[in-house]
Amino acid sequence: MTGTTNDNLFRMTLDGLTVAQQRAVGARFIESVRDLSDDVRIDFAIKIAQDIDANDSEIASAFKSAKSAVLDCYTRCGADADWAMQAGYFVARAAGAVVKPEKDLAGNNPAWQAAMHCRMARTCAVIDSDTTAEQEETEQQHRILDDFLNA
Amino acid sequence: MNSVDFLLWVRGPGLAIASIIFVFGMTLKMFEIFMLGRKKNLAELRGSGIKEGFRTIITRSKHADTYSTRHTKFTFYVGWIFHIGMFVAIFLLAPHIELFKSFLGFGWPALPTPLVDLATVIALISLLAVLFHRITNPVLKYLSVGQDYVVWALTFLPLLTGYMTYHHLFFPYTWLLGIHILSVCILLIIFPFTKLTHAVTLFFSRWYNGMMGGEKGVQQ
Amino acid sequence: MSEATLERGLRALKEQIDTPIALFFSSCTHCGMCATSCLFYTETENPAYTPINKVEPMRRLWEQEYTLIGRIKKALGMSKPVTEADLEEWSEYAYNACTLCGRCTMVCPVGNDITYMIRRMREGLAAAGYAPEGLVAATTRAIEIGSPMGVKLPALQAQARHVEKDIGIEIPFDVEGAEYMMLMSSMEIMNYPEYLAAVARIFKQAGKSWTISSEAFEATNSGIQIGVSDIARELVNRVATAAEKLKVKTVISPECGHAYTAIRWEGPNLIGRSYPFKVRHILEVLDEFREQGLLKTEGFEDAKMTFHDPCQLVRRGGVIEQPRSLLKMVAGNFVEMSDHGQMNWCCGAGGGVSANEDAAELRMTAFKRKKHQLDELNVDTLVTACANCRIQIEEGLEENEMDIPVVGLTEMLAEHLVETDNTKGAQ
Repeated sequence: MTGTTNDNLFRMTLDGLTVAQQRAVGARFIESVRDLSDDVRIDFAIKIAQDIDANDSEIASAFKSAKSAVLDCYTRCGADADWAMQAGYFVARAAGAVVKPEKDLAGNNPAWQAAMHCRMARTCAVIDSDTTAEQEETEQQHRILDDFLNA
Repeated sequence: MNSVDFLLWVRGPGLAIASIIFVFGMTLKMFEIFMLGRKKNLAELRGSGIKEGFRTIITRSKHADTYSTRHTKFTFYVGWIFHIGMFVAIFLLAPHIELFKSFLGFGWPALPTPLVDLATVIALISLLAVLFHRITNPVLKYLSVGQDYVVWALTFLPLLTGYMTYHHLFFPYTWLLGIHILSVCILLIIFPFTKLTHAVTLFFSRWYNGMMGGEKGVQQ
Repeated sequence: MSEATLERGLRALKEQIDTPIALFFSSCTHCGMCATSCLFYTETENPAYTPINKVEPMRRLWEQEYTLIGRIKKALGMSKPVTEADLEEWSEYAYNACTLCGRCTMVCPVGNDITYMIRRMREGLAAAGYAPEGLVAATTRAIEIGSPMGVKLPALQAQARHVEKDIGIEIPFDVEGAEYMMLMSSMEIMNYPEYLAAVARIFKQAGKSWTISSEAFEATNSGIQIGVSDIARELVNRVATAAEKLKVKTVISPECGHAYTAIRWEGPNLIGRSYPFKVRHILEVLDEFREQGLLKTEGFEDAKMTFHDPCQLVRRGGVIEQPRSLLKMVAGNFVEMSDHGQMNWCCGAGGGVSANEDAAELRMTAFKRKKHQLDELNVDTLVTACANCRIQIEEGLEENEMDIPVVGLTEMLAEHLVETDNTKGAQ
């Protein structure tokens, strides 16, 4: 399988997967940034997203729980920015993306959405210092996709 | 002092003094208000708001949305009924019109007195209802202060004494008429120093409201 | 901010009283109708939350200082002075139980603009030291860091880079001579990077030049929320200076309520001069694009959807039809709430309420008014155009176990942009 070195190719490859595969690889992207959130609801979403036999009600339930996690982590208007917590917000959004019910996807790719949110999470975690963290996370995601396809 | 002297005094010097205080008080009030001024609005306005100001003077007499239509029925309808009844009693009774004619120089057609009498009764009943509402409704109870009750009484008394005068109720006519005019004098004197000023200022406050909205392109 | 004292507070309050306010106090008949227009009253039935009550200390001051009868009463020792205890009590009414939503202004039968009065009441409360702690902290951060949430330029740039990666379109910083200068609220920068992505894609399609100023990118004006004109002025000045430096034609206020009121309507009056540039809300600009045929979308959503009108944008801002014209480009099944447009009900979180931790519970209670509106309508999706409304509604829906996705209008439009090389990122 050709290495996904280029982000455009990465995106196109993800688009070529089935929804179930998109959920599963998206879950792996989240695992890569799992340390940025201490919310157990993330694990529930990862588990369901990786379960190819998950039915609609399980997916809906995981989505609901991920949405709660998002709302618990966002920074309130006017509150002091806590970028570490904000990283957790984006991890939760990634979790929500991979278990969004199919009828609500509206053509969006859960894996790509999760990938973008995970990169944002990584950026937030090091916001005051590092400018390369996002690029590194991107390359990590390319490797994850390669491994997934080769498995 | 006998009833005739009292009546002559109250409808002569008494009413004159009360009217002067009323005019002085209202003039002072308008001066106190307008001397404060309003800073020019330097924002990029969508309009001058002048047209909207005038429109609001009219439209503010009706409900703005479905919720308040459902939830302010009492204040809205009884308020209207009271005001209409009171205006009929003040402005469409023949003897009152004569009085206005004497200092305005012109008059206007009167309504048959029995109709004005009916309007007065309606005004009196609605005022009683309004008082009951003010005492029992939680919001009104909370907001109301002494002045609200004093003004209520000062508005009620002329209507009541006027009704009694017309019907020669309980007391000799001369006394009744004298007391009726006295109650109006007291009302006139207190008027400019209470919320009764809304009778005049509401046109301006509605206009400003509409104008300030119109500047932003909103018909308020 | 200089030291807060009762004396400073009373002086500040006195300075706020102008002809309109004197008219309003002269006209109020204590009819109580304003209570039914206020969601804080309707959902709690606490009569202290009646809008006109929120300015009672200012009324006392007006009477004592600006009316003959009031001054006589004061001289005779017959009037009640405004005390520290009063201001402490009224802080709850004017800050926790009011979002400056403007409904009371629309309903008062004698035409009182009560919202205008409450905004000015806050000046006195803040000067006396009775503004909510959360707002004071946000305002301090806004002045010292440039953002009420402490979002610094590197954070914005990181988000911009992230968005560039996502959509393959450059986010332009400090471009002199660009037609539009985009402001963003800290809420959007932190929580909704998709907003920036959406505007970048739309502007690319429309072929319009735009930029963000690295010196003044913050849209939120905490000074307006807390009610301290000096601070509000400083924040507006930063934006005006940056816009003039970059020689832009129009400054765009983003999907945030108060930002628009602050920069468009209060701004020039705060800094004492008209702007040499225009100020428009993003929806006004997008609607202009639509009228000029520059906004090309495809496809319709068949979900039943409605629009939540942000108070500061619609009722207090005058941007009423534009959201609807834009939504109709992509909504196949759009319905209105009863009491919509300029009579819409507030979400419960604007005007600094969401930044005020003391008001957290009250905010959720007030949300029930919005819940009633939505229960009547039974929609699949709610669209809005303010990041603060959005979060409040999402939280409120969750707390009330209602499953309705909330979407930003700009984001929704961008999702329907006609696919060309211009809109989807090329290499």
